[in-house]
Amino acid sequence: MWSKKAAAVAGGAIFLTLAGLIRLNYLFISAGLVMLTFVVISSFLDVWMPNVKIRRETTSDNIFEDGTMSVKFIIKNTGLGIGFVEIYDSLPPQARIIKGSNYTLLYMKPWQEVSFEYSLKLPLRGHYHLGPVKMRVKDAFDLFYNERIEESIHSFSVFPQIEVLEEQVITSRAPKLLSGAMPLNVIGTGTEFYSLREFVPGDSLRSVNWKALAKKGKMMVNETVREDVMDVILLVDAREVSAVGGGRDTPLEMSCRAAATYAKQLLDERNNVALMVYGDTIDRVDLDRGEHHLFKILTALSSAKPQGNLKLEIVMKDLLPHLPSGSPIILFSSLDDDHTISEAFTSTISRGFTITTISPSSLDFEERMKRIPMEPLLIAKIERDNMISELRSFGLQVGDWKYGDNVNTALQEI
Amino acid sequence: MEEGATEIKASRIPKIDKIINYKDFFGEYPIIFAIKIISSLSLIYVISEFYVYHNPKDSLLTKYLGDSLKGFDPNPEVFVPWGFAAGFLFYIFTIFKGKYKFFLFLIIAGSLGGYIADPAIDVQQGEYVIPTNTDVENSETNATQWRWKPVKLVYDDVEGTNDRIDDVSVRLTNVIFGSMPFLGAYGIWKRKGWAIGASIALAIIIGFLYTPNLCLENFDEAFCGYDTKQDEKSWSEYLSSGIFIGLGFVIYIELSYAAIKYENYAEQFKPAGLDISLLSKAQRKSVSKTLRTLFVSYLINLAVILFVTFIIAEIVININKYLSTSDGQIQDSIELQGPYGIVFTSLIFFLLLGIIRMFIGPDNKMEDA
Repeated sequence: MWSKKAAAVAGGAIFLTLAGLIRLNYLFISAGLVMLTFVVISSFLDVWMPNVKIRRETTSDNIFEDGTMSVKFIIKNTGLGIGFVEIYDSLPPQARIIKGSNYTLLYMKPWQEVSFEYSLKLPLRGHYHLGPVKMRVKDAFDLFYNERIEESIHSFSVFPQIEVLEEQVITSRAPKLLSGAMPLNVIGTGTEFYSLREFVPGDSLRSVNWKALAKKGKMMVNETVREDVMDVILLVDAREVSAVGGGRDTPLEMSCRAAATYAKQLLDERNNVALMVYGDTIDRVDLDRGEHHLFKILTALSSAKPQGNLKLEIVMKDLLPHLPSGSPIILFSSLDDDHTISEAFTSTISRGFTITTISPSSLDFEERMKRIPMEPLLIAKIERDNMISELRSFGLQVGDWKYGDNVNTALQEI
Repeated sequence: MEEGATEIKASRIPKIDKIINYKDFFGEYPIIFAIKIISSLSLIYVISEFYVYHNPKDSLLTKYLGDSLKGFDPNPEVFVPWGFAAGFLFYIFTIFKGKYKFFLFLIIAGSLGGYIADPAIDVQQGEYVIPTNTDVENSETNATQWRWKPVKLVYDDVEGTNDRIDDVSVRLTNVIFGSMPFLGAYGIWKRKGWAIGASIALAIIIGFLYTPNLCLENFDEAFCGYDTKQDEKSWSEYLSSGIFIGLGFVIYIELSYAAIKYENYAEQFKPAGLDISLLSKAQRKSVSKTLRTLFVSYLINLAVILFVTFIIAEIVININKYLSTSDGQIQDSIELQGPYGIVFTSLIFFLLLGIIRMFIGPDNKMEDA
C-alpha cells in the first residue's frame, strides 16, 4: 500500500516536473525526475509479510485493581524475509502503561528473535486480554507498507481490590460442627469476653475472675463468646442501576470491592462463603472454603456486569429455600430502584436469617457528577435516609457507605 | 537545637536543567543527534545549490523592491547561513524554560530596540546624580524641592537611526529568502514535520517565480553581479547537473524525516511532562541498540537506493538523447529534442518500470483470498 508520504513525494515530483516544463526550469525537472525515480525504485523494495511466532511472558495471570503487570513480548521471525517492522500490541482501553512501551520499531532479520517489555496498570476489575498484535511491514523510507493482524491473545483477570477489615460484625446463631474463629454472639467456648456470672458447680477454676471475687466477695466466672465456623452468603446487586457514576466510582464497583474484602476475611477465618450476584439472572458460587474458593469468588466478582433489573424479593424467594437455615446474609446494594426491599427483608428475617446491608450511596456519585439539580437531589437524599432508618427500625444492620469512605468506615456505622 | 544537625542551604544558582531543556538538544541517544547534524548539513548544501541556480536577484521580489529599499542586495552567502542560524537559535529559544524564556525574550526585544535606537540616543550623566534638595526657581517663599536626575538622554543622530531602520527592513526582506533554511533548521531540530514541508514548499514557490536574467531587465550589471547572460547549455547537460541537487533534496527530506521518526520512537518512553525517559540503564541500552540497528540498516538502504536512483535518473534523462538521434521518423520530431521530449520519454520509461513492478516483488494477498 502507498503511504501518505509516498503519495506526497510522487505528487510533488510530478508537479515539479510539469512546473519545470511550464517555467522551463531545468532544476525543477531534474529534481522531479529524481524524486519520481526514487519512489519507483523504492516500490521494488515493496515488502514481504513475515512469518512470525509471538508469545508473551507475564509476571502474573491475574492482578488486583491498581496492580501492575509486567509483560515481555517475544516475537520470532520464522522465515527468511528481512525488513522494517512496526509492532503494536493492542491493550485494553482502560490499561495505563507505566513503563516501557507496547509499540516497537525494529529491523528484523531471518530467524531473529526480538523482545520488548512493558508494564501496565489496570484500575478496574474485569476480564481483559492483550492483543491482537498489529504488524506493519514497510520499506526503509516509509513509502510503501503492508499490514497484518496476528491473532495472538493473552487473557487475564483483574480482581477487585481487597482492603483489610479492622473489625468483625457478622453474626450467626447457626454454628457448624467444626470450630472456627467467627464469633456467633452466643455464649460458649471462645477467647473473646462476653459477660460475668456467678460460679456454679462444674465450672472450671480457670474461668474464675479473681478480681471480681475480690471486689464482690463471691465467686464470679468469665463467659466468652462462642466461636464457630458458619455459612455466610454474600449477595451483590449488579442491576443496571448499580452502574450510576463512572469508572471506579459506581455502586457496583464499590460493592465488588467490599464483597472481595469480606470474602477474604471470612475465608481466612475458615468459614464457608457463597457468592450470589444478581442483575438479569443470579450467578452463584456455592458454599465452600479455602484459597481456591477465594479465587472462584474473585473471578465471579470480576465477571459481574451491570445489567437487568431483578428485584430483591424475587432473588430472595429463589435463594432462601436453598440456603442453610440461619446463615448470615450480607447484601451489597445501593438499594436504588427497588420497591420490594421492605418485603424482601421482612420475609428473610421471618425465615430466621440475619441480613446485613452495606449500601454504597449512588446519590453521592450523582452529586459529584452534578447531573441532578440541588433540589431533587436533596429530596432523594431524604428519601434514602428515610429508607435506611426504616430498615434499621426492623432491627437490621445497614451501613450507609458514602463516596470516598473505605469499607471500614461503612462497617463502623453498623 | 540538636547538636550536629546541619542545615543544607539550597544553592541560589539555579541548576542548568531548570533554565534550559538541554536534553532536548542532545537527546538521549547520540545516533539521533548525529542524524540531525547530517540532515542539517544536507539542508545547507541543498539550499546553497538551489540559490546558485535560482539567483535571488532574478526574483520578482528584487524586481519590485530593489529600487525602493536602499541597500537591498540579497546574497545567498549571507542569508543562507544566517537563515539557518536564526532557525537553530529560535529552536534554542524554545527549549528555554518558564521565566528564563520570558527574560530572554525581553533581552532580544530590548537589544533590537537598542540596535535601532542606539545612534539617535546619547546617554549622558544627569545634573543630580545624588538626590539633592534645591531651591525652587521663581519662588517667593524660599520653597525647596528634591531633585534626582542621574541619566540624561540626548537625541542627536536621527539620521543614523533611520539608516539602521533601513538596514533592518532590508534584512527583513531577506527573511523571505532566508526562511527556507530557517524553517528547515527549526523543523530538523524541533522535530516539526510541517516546518520541513514548508521549507520545501517555499523552495518550490521561489523556484516557480524565478525568471533567468530578470535582474538585467531592471537593474544594471553592477547590481546584478553578472556581466552577461548565463551560458547556454544543452538541456541534457542542464538536467544532468540538476540530478545532484535533486538527490540533495531527497537526502534532506529523508534524513530530516528519519530524525523525526526515530526521535518519536525514543520519545514514546518519556512520560508526559518529563524531559527524560524512566527507562532503566539496561532498557536504555536496548533502545539504543535498536536505534543503532535501525539507523545503520536505514543508511545502507538509503545509500543503495540513492546510487540506483542516480544511475536510473541518468539513464532516464539520457535515453531521450538516444531516441532523438536514432534512425527513423522519430528524430524528425522537434519536440522530442527539447525538454518536453525528455519528460515524455522519462514518463514512458517509468511506465515501463511500473509494468515490470507488477511481476516482481511479493504479492501480499489477503488470507481469505
